[in-house]
Parts: sequence; structure tokens; C-alpha cells
Amino acid sequence: MAKPVDLLQGTLDMLILKAVSLGPLHGYGILLRIQQISGKRLEIQQGSLYPALYRLEHQGLIAGEWGESDNKRKAKFYNLTAAGRRQLHSETEKWKRMADLIAGILRTTPEEI
Amino acid sequence: MNVLARLHSWLKWMVKPRRLENEMDTEVRFHLESYAADLVRNGVSEQEAMRRARIEFGGVESHKDAMRASLGQRFWSELLVDLRYGGRMLRKNPGFAAIAVASLALGIGANTAIFTLAKAALLDTLSVPHPDQLRLLTWTQDHRSLVSSIWGDFYPDGNGRAVVASFSYPVYEQLRRNHALGDLFAFKEVIVGRGRLTATIDDQPTTVTGELVSGNYFAGFGVGTVLGRPIEPADDVVAGAPVAVISNAFWERSFGRSPAVIGKTIKLNLIPVTIVGVAPPGFTGASHVEVSPDVFLPMSTQPVIVPRETGSILADPEIWWVQVMGRLQPGISESAARASLALTLDQAVRATMTVPKDATLPSLSLSPGGRGWLSYEDRQLEQPSSILLVLAGLVLLLACANIANLLLARSAARQREMSVRIALGASKARIVRQMLTENLMLSMLGGIAGLALGYVGRDAIPRLLLSKWGSEPFASRFDWRVFAFTMVISAFSGLLFGVGPAWQATRAVVNAGLKDSAATATRRSKGFAGKTLVIVQVSLCMLLLVGAGLFVRTLANLASVDTGFRPKGILLFAISPPKQRYPAPKNTEVLHQIEEAIAALPGVKSVALSADPLIAQTASNDGFFPDNQPDGQPPKTGREQFVMSNSVGQNFFATMGIPVLYGRAFDFRDTPTSPKVAIINRALARKEFAGTNPVGKTFTTDEKDRYEIIGVSDDAKYADMRDDPPPTFYVLYLQQKDDREDMTFEVRTSGDPAGAVGAIRSAVQTVDKDLPLIDVRTQSEQIESSLAPERIFATLAAGFGALALILASIGVYGIMAQTVARRVNEIGVRMALGAPARQVLVMILRETSWLAVIGIGAGLGAALLLTRFLSSMLFGLKPTDPLTLTFAAVLLFVIAMLAGWGPARRASLIQPMQALRHE
Repeated sequence: MAKPVDLLQGTLDMLILKAVSLGPLHGYGILLRIQQISGKRLEIQQGSLYPALYRLEHQGLIAGEWGESDNKRKAKFYNLTAAGRRQLHSETEKWKRMADLIAGILRTTPEEI
Repeated sequence: MNVLARLHSWLKWMVKPRRLENEMDTEVRFHLESYAADLVRNGVSEQEAMRRARIEFGGVESHKDAMRASLGQRFWSELLVDLRYGGRMLRKNPGFAAIAVASLALGIGANTAIFTLAKAALLDTLSVPHPDQLRLLTWTQDHRSLVSSIWGDFYPDGNGRAVVASFSYPVYEQLRRNHALGDLFAFKEVIVGRGRLTATIDDQPTTVTGELVSGNYFAGFGVGTVLGRPIEPADDVVAGAPVAVISNAFWERSFGRSPAVIGKTIKLNLIPVTIVGVAPPGFTGASHVEVSPDVFLPMSTQPVIVPRETGSILADPEIWWVQVMGRLQPGISESAARASLALTLDQAVRATMTVPKDATLPSLSLSPGGRGWLSYEDRQLEQPSSILLVLAGLVLLLACANIANLLLARSAARQREMSVRIALGASKARIVRQMLTENLMLSMLGGIAGLALGYVGRDAIPRLLLSKWGSEPFASRFDWRVFAFTMVISAFSGLLFGVGPAWQATRAVVNAGLKDSAATATRRSKGFAGKTLVIVQVSLCMLLLVGAGLFVRTLANLASVDTGFRPKGILLFAISPPKQRYPAPKNTEVLHQIEEAIAALPGVKSVALSADPLIAQTASNDGFFPDNQPDGQPPKTGREQFVMSNSVGQNFFATMGIPVLYGRAFDFRDTPTSPKVAIINRALARKEFAGTNPVGKTFTTDEKDRYEIIGVSDDAKYADMRDDPPPTFYVLYLQQKDDREDMTFEVRTSGDPAGAVGAIRSAVQTVDKDLPLIDVRTQSEQIESSLAPERIFATLAAGFGALALILASIGVYGIMAQTVARRVNEIGVRMALGAPARQVLVMILRETSWLAVIGIGAGLGAALLLTRFLSSMLFGLKPTDPLTLTFAAVLLFVIAMLAGWGPARRASLIQPMQALRHE
């Protein structure tokens, strides 16, 4: 397994939105989903997930709802709101443009200058 | 981002902090247990699983803190903590808290009271819906203006022209066809007999104020009635008995809020008028912001209730008298509305008047109408209000400086606490925030106390403005703007006095602060800040004292100025014979009957009457064209020949005590049918007849009446106490044909003038039982009331000065006490080495005197720069009056030295042995 990558500033929010966009999840579920889709290559301190969740809920991007987990325990499930969906979309676009730009710059060979 | 969502979420958790804690706990526990369960499933022991779950989760409490911060809740919980802590600190130092809150309360209370007053003069709008949409139609008049007959106020526009808001009724009717400002409505404050109408309510004669209004006036304002109906468009045409709507205040004053008032008939200027409605409270008509006219009458009642020379002026295109207001309409810009109305005005003027070749037509402009038609007197309140606001602001500044000083001293004492906080990891920003929270708490306490003070004192200042006999209740509105103002200045002063000390608190050095003798490290700079503050205080105090001195001396100068007549023992009142019963010349006859009836009373020495009472801000003028100029000089013409005039009774000079220097006074020989005679005063004699005897010469007036001069009187003040006696001629009212609406009687009594009122009233009622005595007062009261603005200024400025002195002496005392406390050791050494107590005393006093001298010097400089803005309000002295400046400087110096005496004395009593053991 490769060495885990530190999270870039601000990307945790995007990851959470992405994870939640695939279906309602509780906090621990979100952590698992991120680890799963990233192939465990991302290092997230578990506790720091929650302030981010609360911040996103505060901003109205996700909505929390108390429900029952698989093991019949009380848990808070997060959903993506319409505003969250728009945010995820625009963040994704932004990220893609940024990645293309950086990739383009890094691909530049001496002959092209 | 989404502000609403945040606000919603913030509020949700703000009100349920307990539930938030529960949810956070549940969520974190669920996470830990789920993770532990997963670990167990992978073969980790249960105990070990929980341990690893906790480790990988990280610090639960710090994450929970971050969660709270995410919801915007941390700021508030910290604020609560700070507030609780601040409250504890204040309780621990009740003396400090009391001084700080009390001085703030005085400063803020003074500002609140002055602001309440200034608001009326500068800000208040009519209490009608959307006052900002109202526009008053005005026009400018130059010397070639077509319109020459205006009944109403105007004021100079600064370019030698006058701004007028009056229109002729025919022009108004034509303007109404233009709807650029909606349906234009018209009004006219009725000014007859000292500004009142004679009224008879339940057979009791009294006076009321009135406003003539068009039928769409109430609809135009969007104001209804609390009882009955408003004046309606149908009232624009006379049908049957006249109707009136009365003001809420008049309803309360005269009818005890009885609902039976609707349908009741009262007599106004002897005409029966039926009351049909009561205006809502707070509605003050269109003319003023503070005071409502008592009755609103339809315009159509003008010919019967307030007839002019020609009776009705509703169809008269020459006399311009009604004020016109409209509302801005959606979709029509102000400039478009103005242009459109200007065109209509032009057409209306050409249609109703003949326009000579070189005459200028009125050019229309729109002025904001939200504050009503501001009369000249209302406008004159603007400058004094601003000056008072500045003075009150200076007092507050002084109070702030005091508290800043106290806080500086306290922050020195709290340096250890700050060091501990910083050592425990508090950021500087956090410490500044805590200090500011404490200071804002203090200033808000002061603000609340100040608001209470201002509320209690809100009517005190307007009451000073009222004349003793005036019937108009002046209600200063204590509204949200006063509240907002007070809160803003409280917060502002909290920041003002708190920032310095708060900043200083963060400079606490951890290492040094925790050691005992740390204070030595920053001693010098701290003493410096405190002393600078005290110097600022002394100079502010100096400024206020100079202001107070100037206003007090102005009042004293005015009160002691020689009026040229003997005001003591004279009773004044006006009589206004209604035209309906007394058309000219009957009005003169009835006045003469009253004069004789009063003269016959026992205890009355002499009776006079005059068109204009003296020192009452009123005067008449007329042309004065001497006949038979010497050396064949051409007869004089033009405006420069306007002089003051007064129409008086036979005994005017004897009653008022004005000596007649040459010739004779009026007497029994002068009757309505004898040749017209006049008396001129010395100023006029000097102006027109320098070096020759004017007695026996003749002159003509504007109306081409020829008078023979029979005497020259000494000069006497006329309209006010400020102006020198103007050139004036006096004529006999019995020989006048013009129909003045009212005359003021001057009755010199042998006893107390006020005691004669009853007898005089019944004497007047034997002549006509419907004639009330209007504005009964003594001549001395009249003079006093003419000085009301000066008295208010002197009183308030002196009050502010005294307040400033107290605050500054607290400041001086505080800083000197602090200095002495810090120097105990040094003084002990000095005394141990043989310095006598006296020398120590002088040393400390010298330091005080330096503070005082520098402060007074700075204040003097500021005063020399600033007092010239007051020069128009002063009388008999220059704004740099040396006596005032010297007196203020000496007084302040003495008070400062007295304040410094206590600490100096304490220093001189220090026992060397104790002082040396002190540390």
C-alpha cells in the first residue's frame, strides 16, 4: 500500500459532499465510504470529520436526520441538499479545470517553450 | 453563501444548547462504538478496540469544540463566559463600577437629552405614512417678481432672493389639474391675533390655533380620524354651517376625550362651527413637527372665519397665501414632476394675473416636505442644536477619558491575571476581546442609566423654551431613534475608553508579569498615557468652561442692557376684535372703549396699547419721506427710507416710561378727526434731521399719509434686547384706518400687575363678553421669555461646565493618587535623607500644576480656534473675551490644584520607615 496522502486544504468538504451524494450516510459511514472510494490512500483523522460535517450542515449543503442504523442503533444520517448538489457540481468543475491546468503545465516539455 | 440557512441553523442551536450537546455526544459515541465493533469483528479484543477507536478519533472535547465553532456557537458561549466574568469583576470593584457608570450616565444622559431636542430641530418628520415622499412646492422671489402680496413666511436663499411657499388659491386650483405629484393638497396655518383664533367653547372665551386645509388634505397625507370623519373634498364648497376637525391634544385639553364632541358646536371668531372629527394622536398638521394646530378648517371657511381686507381671498389672484404639497408618484422622477408642474404654474400665473414686461414669473422648485413647512424660527434652532450637541459630546469625551484612566490603572493591577492567561495559552485577540466585552458591559450599563436620565429629563429642556403663557404643549418624541442614538454612543464610548487599556493588557509580558516587582518594567510609559489623558481632560474642560462663561456673560449682558423704558409693573395682554363683529373703523372704537374702561379701574395708573408690544420679536416698518427737504434736495424715495413704526395709544410714552425729549407726547388734543401727528425717536431724528429741530416738520408714509412731528422721544429697544434701538416713529392708533387684527395693551398698575388681571378681564367683558385676554403676561416676563434661548444656552453650558470640572478633577485626583502610590518608596528615601514634608508637598503639587498648565494652555488654544463659531450667538463680548478666558483658566487651575492637594498631602505625611518597608 502506498503512503497515505495528506488531504489538501478544503478537499475534505468536497469528499464529504461526494460521499453523501451517493446516498444518505451516517458520520462513520461517510468515513468508510471515503476510505473505500479512495482505496484507503487518504489519511483522515476520524474526529476531524465531524466539525466539517457540522459546518456543511450549518451552511445548508447537507441536512442531518436522526434514524436507525443497520445494527438498530440511533444514528444521524446526512443527505445532500439541492444547494449541496449545486456546490458539489461547481466544486467538481473547478477541480477538473484546476487539475487540467496543473497537468498541462507539468507536461510542458522544453521544446514547447 | 446561504445566509438564511446559517441564521436558521445558528438560531436553532442557540436556543437549544442542551440538545446540541446531547446530539454531539450521541453521534460521537455511535462513531466510536461502530468503529470498535468493526475492529472486534477483525479480531481485536473488545478493550483494545475501544482504546484504539478513541486514539484514532482524536481528542473528543477538542473536536466537539470545533463542532460548536462550525455552528457559530463558540463565539456566543465565549461571550457568555466573558459576560459572566465581567460581571464578577464589576461586583468585585463596586467603587470603580459606580464611578464609571455614574460618569458615563451623566455624559450619555446629557447627550440623550440634547439629542432628543436636536432631533426635533434637525430630524423629526411629520408622523404620516411615507413622509419621505412628500414634496412642498416652493418658488424664489427676486426684486422684480410679479407677485408682490404674500401672506406667509419666507426665508432668504442666500443669493439675495427669498424662498416662498405660498400660492394664490386660483393658481393652486389650476396646479391641481396636474397630477405629476398626485393630487396636490393645500393648507394654511392661520395667523390672526397673535397667531390664534378667538374661540368660544361652552360660553368660555379662549383662543385656539388653526390650519385651513383643502378637502383632499387628510387623504393626501393618508391620515384618518380616531373619531368622526376627516375634512373631505365635499367640504371644499360651502354648504351650511362650517365644520372642523380638532386635534387629539385639543380634544384632550378642552373636551376631556369625550366622544360626545362629535356634532358639538363651538364658536371660532364668533362663527358657529360644528366639530365633525378628531385627528389621531401624533398628527401635527403640515406646518410643524412638534405642535399640532388645535382645529383643522376647510379652505372654504376662510371668507367667514378668517376674512382678509377684501373678505374672501379664495378667488383673489394677487394675494399668495396657501402652501401646496404633493407626493412623489411611482414612475415619475422628481425632476420630471418639477418640470411638468413648473409649466403648469407658468400657465396658471399667465391665466390669472396680468404680466408686465419686465416682471419675473415665480420659478418652481420642490423641497422635501417630510418635515413640514419649516418656519424661520424652526430653522433658527438648527445652529444652536448643533452647538449643544457638540458641547454634550465634549462632556461625554471627558467622561470617557476618566474611565480610560481608571481602566489603565486597573489594567496595571491586572497584569498578573493577564500574564497567567497568556501563559495558559490565551491568544492576544482573545484577551482583547474579553477586555472589550467588559468595557462594553460597563458602557452599556452607563448607557442604560443615561437613557433613563435622558428620559426623565426629556421635557426639561423644551419646557425652558416655552413662554409662561404659551398654550402650546411641546411634546418631544422619545422614540427608537433616541434609543438607537444612545446605544450607539454608549458602544462608541465603550470602544473609545476601552481600546487603549485592552491593547495595553496584551502587552503583559509573561515572565515579568508573574514576578512580583514586574511593574518597574513598564512604569514610565504607563504614567505617560495616564497623564496625557488627564491633560486632554483638562483642556476639554477648559473648552467647556470658556463656552459656559461666554454664554453666561451673554445672558447677563442682555438681561442688564438698558431697554430705554421701565418694564417693571406693566401688565401685557392682547385683544383681537373679530372682523365679523368689528369691521373698521369699529375695531378702533371698541379698543378705545376697552382702554377707557381699564383706565377707570382702581389700581391702574395708566393704560396704553400698541400694535407691536416691546421686546416680543415683532415689529412693523413703513416708509419715512420727510417733506420740504432743506436746500432744495430732491425728495427721498426707495427702500432705504424704510424705518420702524408702531401704532400706539395716547399714554404710551407715560405708561412705558419713555421720556419725550422735545415737543410733546400724544394727548387729548389728538383725536381721530384732528390732524395726524407722530413722534419720532432720537435715532430717527439723528438720521433724518441731524442738527435741526424736527418738531413741527412733516413727513409722508408709504400710504401717502402726511404726519406732523410733535415730539422726539428717547430711544427704546423695540423688537428684541440685542439690536440697538432702530430709527422709529410712533403714530396714534386712533388716527389709523388700517385694520390690525390685534393690539397689545400695556397697563401700568400701582400694585402687583398679576393681581389686576381679574378686574381687567371683567372690565373687558363689560365691553364685549366674547373677547378673551390673549397672552396675559407682565412686561418683565415678556423680556425674560425673549431671552429664553440665551437662558437655555447659559444654563446648559454652565451645567456642562460644572460637569466637566467634576470629571476633570476626578481625573487629576486619580492620576496624582496613582503617582504618589507608585512613588511611595522614592518619597520615603527622600524623607529619610532629610527632605522636609513641605518640600514633598510642593514637589507633588508642582507635578499637578504642570498637568493643569499644559491642559489649560491646550484648551485655551482650542478655545481661541473654536469659539468664533459662537460669535453670532454672543452679545456684548467677543468670542475671545479676555475676562472669560482668564476666569476659566484661573478657576480650572484652582480646582485642579485642589484636586491634587489630597494626594500631595498624603505624600507629605509618608513615614520614611514604613515607606521603606513597603516593598
